[in-house]
Amino acid sequence: MSILSLEFLAFAVGAVLLYYCLPLKIRWVVLLAGSAAYMALAGWQSIAHISAVALVMWGGGLALQRKKSRLLLALLLIPDLGAMIFLKYWPALSGAAMILPLGLSYFTFQSAGYLIDVYRGKMQAQKNPLKAWLFIGYFPQLAQGPISTWKELGSQLLTGHRFEPENTVSGFTLLLWGYFKKLVIADRLAKTTDALINGSGLPGWFVLGGVILYTIRLYLDFSGGMDVVRGLSRMLGIELPENFRRPFFARSVSEYWRRWHITLGAWFRSYLLYPLTTCRAGIGLGKFASGAFGKKTGRTFPSALATLVVFLLIGVWHTANWNAVVYGAYFGLVMGVSMLLEPLWKTMRTTLNLPREGWMAPLRLIRTWGLILLAQYFAFTLNPEMGFSLLRSTFQAWDFSGFAVRTAAVMEPLEWIIAGIGCLFVLIVDILCEKKTDVCGRLAKAHFYIRWPALLFLILAIVSFGIYGSGYDGAAFLYTQF
Amino acid sequence: MAEQTVSRRKKIAFFWLRLVCFALLTALLLSYAVYVFTPKSDYGICSMMNLYRQPDDSIDVLAVGTSLAYAGINTNVLWEEYGIAAYDLCSAEQPFWVSYYTLREVLKTQRPKVILLDAKPAIYTRDYSKRGRTILSTFGIRGIENRIGAILACVEKSRDALGYILGLPEVHSNYSKLTANDFVFPPDNGSRGASWKGYIESDQVEHHQKPSLVFNTVRRNMNDREEEYARKIFELAQAEGIPVLLLGLPNPDYANDHMYYNALWAVAEEYGVHGINYNDPGIRFGLRYSSDFADWQHLNVKGSVTFSRKLGEDLKMLFDLPDRRGDAKYISYDECARQWFDQYPLFESSAWEEHPLNWFAGEEEMP
Repeated sequence: MSILSLEFLAFAVGAVLLYYCLPLKIRWVVLLAGSAAYMALAGWQSIAHISAVALVMWGGGLALQRKKSRLLLALLLIPDLGAMIFLKYWPALSGAAMILPLGLSYFTFQSAGYLIDVYRGKMQAQKNPLKAWLFIGYFPQLAQGPISTWKELGSQLLTGHRFEPENTVSGFTLLLWGYFKKLVIADRLAKTTDALINGSGLPGWFVLGGVILYTIRLYLDFSGGMDVVRGLSRMLGIELPENFRRPFFARSVSEYWRRWHITLGAWFRSYLLYPLTTCRAGIGLGKFASGAFGKKTGRTFPSALATLVVFLLIGVWHTANWNAVVYGAYFGLVMGVSMLLEPLWKTMRTTLNLPREGWMAPLRLIRTWGLILLAQYFAFTLNPEMGFSLLRSTFQAWDFSGFAVRTAAVMEPLEWIIAGIGCLFVLIVDILCEKKTDVCGRLAKAHFYIRWPALLFLILAIVSFGIYGSGYDGAAFLYTQF
Repeated sequence: MAEQTVSRRKKIAFFWLRLVCFALLTALLLSYAVYVFTPKSDYGICSMMNLYRQPDDSIDVLAVGTSLAYAGINTNVLWEEYGIAAYDLCSAEQPFWVSYYTLREVLKTQRPKVILLDAKPAIYTRDYSKRGRTILSTFGIRGIENRIGAILACVEKSRDALGYILGLPEVHSNYSKLTANDFVFPPDNGSRGASWKGYIESDQVEHHQKPSLVFNTVRRNMNDREEEYARKIFELAQAEGIPVLLLGLPNPDYANDHMYYNALWAVAEEYGVHGINYNDPGIRFGLRYSSDFADWQHLNVKGSVTFSRKLGEDLKMLFDLPDRRGDAKYISYDECARQWFDQYPLFESSAWEEHPLNWFAGEEEMP
């Protein structure tokens, strides 16, 4: 059941109503039953797989709590992560057709994180297997995350929440905002990506524009989906962790990755990057590098190398193809090199007396955008050759004579206007959020004569200009496949 | 503490009250949005919406069926020449299952003296109405039970019906085609005015030859669902005590339809329903295949005038239909006919009698 479908909306409304109708103590059971039903609708394979993972997580957690054993942890993580790796990559490598359980990566990462946290003594293992199941099977987050830790989500799921009108309104607003971003803008912009993939002899401005629009589309698609699930959760009184924090306001690539798919980055940081840099091999490598390149570089070298490995894995997590390798390696290299060269930049900044803010801020923003856009050439293309070919095309034939014809061939002028106005709205809201304004929260507390028109406007915009229903081929969420 | 509880209860009660108001306002707004986006073309939506404007029990002859009927049955001629208050409640490729629910809806407010049922759907082989416009024709039905019934009858899987029942998923993509008229309620009936009675003229002329076929009694089985709903229509009419007259509308493509019509006629006979097949070479009324058709199926203006004269004559002969001319309740029929004949003065009965194009008066018939 796609979260874009009317069935999902009906399901969500039913879940919210039922949740608040039952006594506080058993409200988690509604979430459990709803999640089980949601999973069952995705097919028996999904519910069987997640139940197996939950069982391993629950039993393993209790065992790890009794005896803190690295071997046991490894034995528990191998089938957990191994199943995900097999199911995700075996079809790509062998060409075999396989049904992927819904939300495979998300619940696998969450269960692995749970086991590691229990092993590290950061949390107590859950004694009730059904509660453990709910932690990884909570239905709103199965579509495309976020990847939560027990600390962030566990107690929220199990504690019954009292009905709070502000939460409901704020959550509903966020849910509508998500649908607006996805259906009105992101899916409308999908045609621009198709034009890039299927086009030939494209002028440079067209390619660059297409890549920028793809980047915007990806953001709106993914963050729109997150807003929908976070909004629904908020209506239930559950606050899911934020997955996006206006990534295009980032002034460095590392900041971008702290704002983009935050929970994935946090998972890799907590459970892979830190162990890699602090393990014996990492420390040994640091010592070796200190001897070879000096103390400062030596200290950073293991982290830079671990970053490269982590980004390679993040790249490959997206898809099992060479584009993903190029994408991951590129970000890993950019991050790793910038870490190694940080002392040099610092010296340059001090020598030239360059400020970090002020007039440098937009320049840093442009530099970051440039670096991110370079990676996007490999995010949507079918193979690295295509990515490099489009990259070459960007620097050729900057002839604007066919501007009107080319853009009209992609979309009708009215469609461009709708997409443009939609993007403008998102920009305004993102600027407000960047200035620490909780738009949804403020709207929830505003007078009804402000709130109602705003909500009705959103509803009308979605139902009128959304890409759904007859005459449209709405796209699935780009991140659902993971 | 107790005060806090009371205050919270009040807050929540107030929230639910506001939520209900908001939901009602949203529903109202979305209903209007469905109306705005729904194409107000000749799909049958306008004729259904417009039907609700007719005074109760004012329609004497109700025609239901396909585009052959709305292009052929000229309500203005029936009114002008016979004083028959007729209404065309037809839509493009209307299957019997849509006709059935349409009739059920109409019978809530009207009690026609005769129902004219277009026989054309007898030839349709499809089990369901996959074409959007056929299903869209149900958008004019206000009665929720009949609208949902018609939509469910149109789609193969009931889950496909949801988009049509809600409306917007099927019509919202029309935003680029909207005109100022789309926002006006009730619709202007394609600039035909409020007094319009469902007749849609076709101005084109396409030359055809009279279909050559040997009339026989061989039957080709109708589609099961078409037959099922044809029977339902006959049963409904029977229960309401309203006679039905099956109509085989003149059609150059008739050779294909012949044996299906035979099957329908046989079914109709079981219910004591009779029909007139105007493709029968034995029925001569001056129709010319070379000039009276707009395309391969539909009568043009001239053809509809010729045909409707004959139809009016037959209706008067077969049924006890009152002449409503001069009745204040039927002023809209006068207005509709006046407006139409002003547009087509050539077809006024006085002018027509002497016009060289009036083949009816001449010797040559149905070449």
